[in-house]
Amino acid sequence: MGTVVVDEVVVVDVQRFSLHDGPGIRTTVFLKGCPLRCLWCQNPEAVRRGPEIAVYAERCEHSGRCGEVCPEGAIRLGALARVDFDRCSACGACARECAHDAIRLIGRRVNIDELEGDLLRDLAFFEDSGGGVTFSGGEPMVQAPALGSLLARLSGRGVHTAIETCGLFPWSRMAPLLTSLDLVYFDVKHMDSAVHRRLTGLGNELILANFARLANSPVELVARMPVVPGFNDDEENVRATADLLHTHGLTRIHLLGYHGLGEAKKPHLDSPLAPFHLATMERRDLEKFASRFEERGIDVTIYD
Amino acid sequence: MSRSTTDGRADAVSARVRRLQRAVQEASPGVCAERALIWTAYFRDRSTAPLPTEVRMAQALSRVLLEKSVHIYDDELIVGNFTSKRVAGAIYPELHGVAMLANPSSFPTRAVNPLQISPDEAARLKAIRGFWLRRSIPYLAYREPWRKVRLIVDQLKPRYYALNELGGIAHIVPDYEMLLELGTDGLVARAHEAREGFAPTSPQIEFLDAVETAANGLAAFAERYAHEAARLAATEDDPLRRGELLEIAETCRRVPREPARTFAEAVQSLTFAQISITLESLDNGVSPGRLDQLLWPFYQRDVAAGTLTRERARELVAAFCIKLCEVIPVFSDATTKLHGGLMSGQAVTLGGVDVTGRDATTELSHLFLEVIDALRMRQPNLHVRLHRSSPQSFTDQIAAMLCDGANTPALYNDDAIVSALVERGCDEGDALGFAICGCVEPVVPGATFGSTDAALFNLPIILELALNEGRRFSSRWRVGARTPPVTEMRTMHDVTAAFETQLAHVVARMVGDLHAVESANMRFHPTPMTSMLLRGCLERGTCSTAGGARYNSSGVQCVGPADTGDSLAAIERSVFVDRRVTLPQLVAALKANLDDRDLFAYLRGLGKFGNDDALVDRYTAYVLERFSSELARHRSRRDGPYVAGVYSMTTHAHFGSVTGALPNGRLASACFASGLSPENGMDREGPTAVFNSVNRVDTRSLSNGVNLNVLFDQATLRGANGRRVLSSLVRTYFRGGGMQVQTNILDPAVLIEARADPSAHPNLLVRISGYSAYFNDLTPTMKDEIIRRTAHSGTAT
Ligand code: SF4
Ligand code: SF4
Repeated sequence: MGTVVVDEVVVVDVQRFSLHDGPGIRTTVFLKGCPLRCLWCQNPEAVRRGPEIAVYAERCEHSGRCGEVCPEGAIRLGALARVDFDRCSACGACARECAHDAIRLIGRRVNIDELEGDLLRDLAFFEDSGGGVTFSGGEPMVQAPALGSLLARLSGRGVHTAIETCGLFPWSRMAPLLTSLDLVYFDVKHMDSAVHRRLTGLGNELILANFARLANSPVELVARMPVVPGFNDDEENVRATADLLHTHGLTRIHLLGYHGLGEAKKPHLDSPLAPFHLATMERRDLEKFASRFEERGIDVTIYD
Repeated sequence: MSRSTTDGRADAVSARVRRLQRAVQEASPGVCAERALIWTAYFRDRSTAPLPTEVRMAQALSRVLLEKSVHIYDDELIVGNFTSKRVAGAIYPELHGVAMLANPSSFPTRAVNPLQISPDEAARLKAIRGFWLRRSIPYLAYREPWRKVRLIVDQLKPRYYALNELGGIAHIVPDYEMLLELGTDGLVARAHEAREGFAPTSPQIEFLDAVETAANGLAAFAERYAHEAARLAATEDDPLRRGELLEIAETCRRVPREPARTFAEAVQSLTFAQISITLESLDNGVSPGRLDQLLWPFYQRDVAAGTLTRERARELVAAFCIKLCEVIPVFSDATTKLHGGLMSGQAVTLGGVDVTGRDATTELSHLFLEVIDALRMRQPNLHVRLHRSSPQSFTDQIAAMLCDGANTPALYNDDAIVSALVERGCDEGDALGFAICGCVEPVVPGATFGSTDAALFNLPIILELALNEGRRFSSRWRVGARTPPVTEMRTMHDVTAAFETQLAHVVARMVGDLHAVESANMRFHPTPMTSMLLRGCLERGTCSTAGGARYNSSGVQCVGPADTGDSLAAIERSVFVDRRVTLPQLVAALKANLDDRDLFAYLRGLGKFGNDDALVDRYTAYVLERFSSELARHRSRRDGPYVAGVYSMTTHAHFGSVTGALPNGRLASACFASGLSPENGMDREGPTAVFNSVNRVDTRSLSNGVNLNVLFDQATLRGANGRRVLSSLVRTYFRGGGMQVQTNILDPAVLIEARADPSAHPNLLVRISGYSAYFNDLTPTMKDEIIRRTAHSGTAT
């Protein structure tokens, strides 16, 4: 897949009027690519680094147009259009041609000038509400150099900036971003490295080291925890997580209850992730769980 | 600030007010025959025929006021009845009412907005039909029989434009300030003074005679309530109520004949005027205006003197608001399609700046908000003016109300409206004092005869004509101008040129019809009572229907601008940029109602207004600019401009139902977008994008007001953060030039429930287009549309 260009990012989606990814009225940019493979991944379409194709076969109306335009001969038209992902180069021709939204290209390469312009359309709303732009993903730090230039430009325009990170990145990538970053939401998934590896594919040593560094930086740091019942909600992990916060003088955590929306996306993708079956967490269970942090003197914000 | 009893806080209104409210909400709406029958009896009497029409109108009205039944209901503090029933509407046989005389006994059983009527009333109404058939404005507008027929047939199922003015005008903000200051005796004296300037037998003198009759009729109407209150007091056992009744008697003996001295007198005085103007002109858009300004001196004085408590003021305001809910417009089934929801459009405006430009928000502004929030009834239409220095306590109170799902007030940007009014010729000081009339229409209160709802115009159908040489897609008969066939259109400019030609053609035809209607109203339906409360009329000795008011204008609403703009954008993109189809192919597909699924999906997928795409939005801005400039080329018979507005009542559904498929991918007969809002469900980028798109439209030429509906779900605007977000959105939108917005904050599940089972939420209020209506009163199509409106939810992770 093409060389990495620094003045370009691969964007899954841009959502305006986001109210839950930081202060005020915000736009959230979902960047593509993530080094982890969490079992419960909520954004499976953002895991791969490059663009990819998603097929919503139930929408297909058999026009055959996609097959006609595919340069790789990757599309077979049986009862419904099917994409041979091994052949597909994610050129996106089929998705552009399909009027019925049955094939979609996930991940657009966007020049950062253009993206900056798009984001600044809501500048007046950001300014009035104290809002701004949040980069999420995937893992936004995967695209750190281009992300850095975007952050610098936005922050130069007085826009409040935030990222949502899984915490796994070489510190050398983060260091230059610190001056143009106001807020970091940092995922703490599991405190035990071995368990972390089992749940996400990698250990947590670097993540915890980065957490410590950010805690000592001037950037506002907010810990976030995806609560996945049966996987990371045990007492020991709660205690260890609370200790981590206390160690760094932090007093609050955001809890995100597991929901099954990510699962619904997997069948449409050539996803590297296995299916994961778990019921969406009830708000009252999440509240009960939250009380275990509150007992330890930590303020909890719940997202359900 | 308290809102309801259920959450444990004190109720903002008293138990008495709740009883009044219940009585009105539980009354089933009916039809009242009194006005029609008394009116008919007067005009049947040949002995009055030689009198000037103005005088006859004033006498007929006075007779109604003197003969109609008078009720003072339990618990009432403010008295006066619009009709003989607790909640009902009158029939205006000389206006649009004639259409309803054919079968009045069907009111109780009709599908939408059934209304109660006794068999006797129905029979008596039916009996007057013969008299009015050839005497109503729709019949009188044209002299030539074929034109009469054409106009009436056209307007039974309007396709190109709906002429509301054919059914009556009203739509004024009367000069209640003057009424409170002078009383009717003072007005009679004014009329006397005005006579000096005119020759004894001139039409001006006739008009001024009529004004005196009307003014005295109004005073006498009040005196009947004085008698009734005294009569009731005599037999009242409860000493408390007896005292109240005696007080009411005292008040009604005094006002409106004399100047109001107290807050209670002021409210009572303007209630009588409100009823009388409604009975004269029409029950539509008679708007009390800026009551937080008008009543402020009385409130201040009484509170300072210790004769009025805040609680009593709240009761009086509540009683007044409940009174406004006792009248509903009675529409025929055909008209209900255009104006669903039993909306009388009595608008109260709060906040804003005064005529010197300083913030004019008062304690009364807060009080009105509290009361109206506590009541949540369908009237008054509540409008709030905002500007850069609106006090935060005021905007906070509004945000709290809206986030709590009140769906009212609608919000107006002082800057945008004042510049639009100045642009159309109002003095700046006058413009600064604007009030909203009816749904969204700004006027200079007490000085404007605005006929703000004169007509509604189907803009998308103009494009249909432009793409088919002046014919409908389904017809070989040319109704528009002769424009080139699409095979000869080579550029986008050719398309817009044809559009402009068709627009000019149909606007000219509409103006011709409006002229006929204006002349008919002037000759056959002068309104001396309304005119005496509009500055200019007495001085000029001229009725408002003849152009006597200081400001004259006629509002014409553009329906479907987003559909039209998006369609032009779609033509440009599909034919001239993507070259996916040729123009003739596209038109052939439209005639086949886009049965090519692929082309249909492609067109639907193209950019739409409301998504902050400058290339697309400029077409909506363009069609509105063209529409208002085209109107500006004409003047009314009252020598006022035709001014453009963008709100659709419920006509976007009706006009949609008579219009073919459009290049934006909207299928034949489908609903258009409402007002200035994006097409239903097509605004995919959230409210900030909607506001940015809307702010690409230059509202300075849309001085009859615009309506932008934005629907949020309740979860989005939860809590203190939700209130902050909403305030911020509105502030930013207004700073960017936005003129008006109203929010619907609603859990769609509630609506779906209400649609399935009307008894589940009997009093569920939704905003339609500048006004609120009970969901159950809407047609099935409108219900569906409200449900489909994009629910803007803040995106959660
Ligand atoms: S273009 Fe779309 S609708 Fe047509 S065959 Fe391909 S997937 Fe199906
Ligand atoms: S993305 Fe390109 S290569 Fe892949 S299936 Fe579509 S057209 Fe073929």
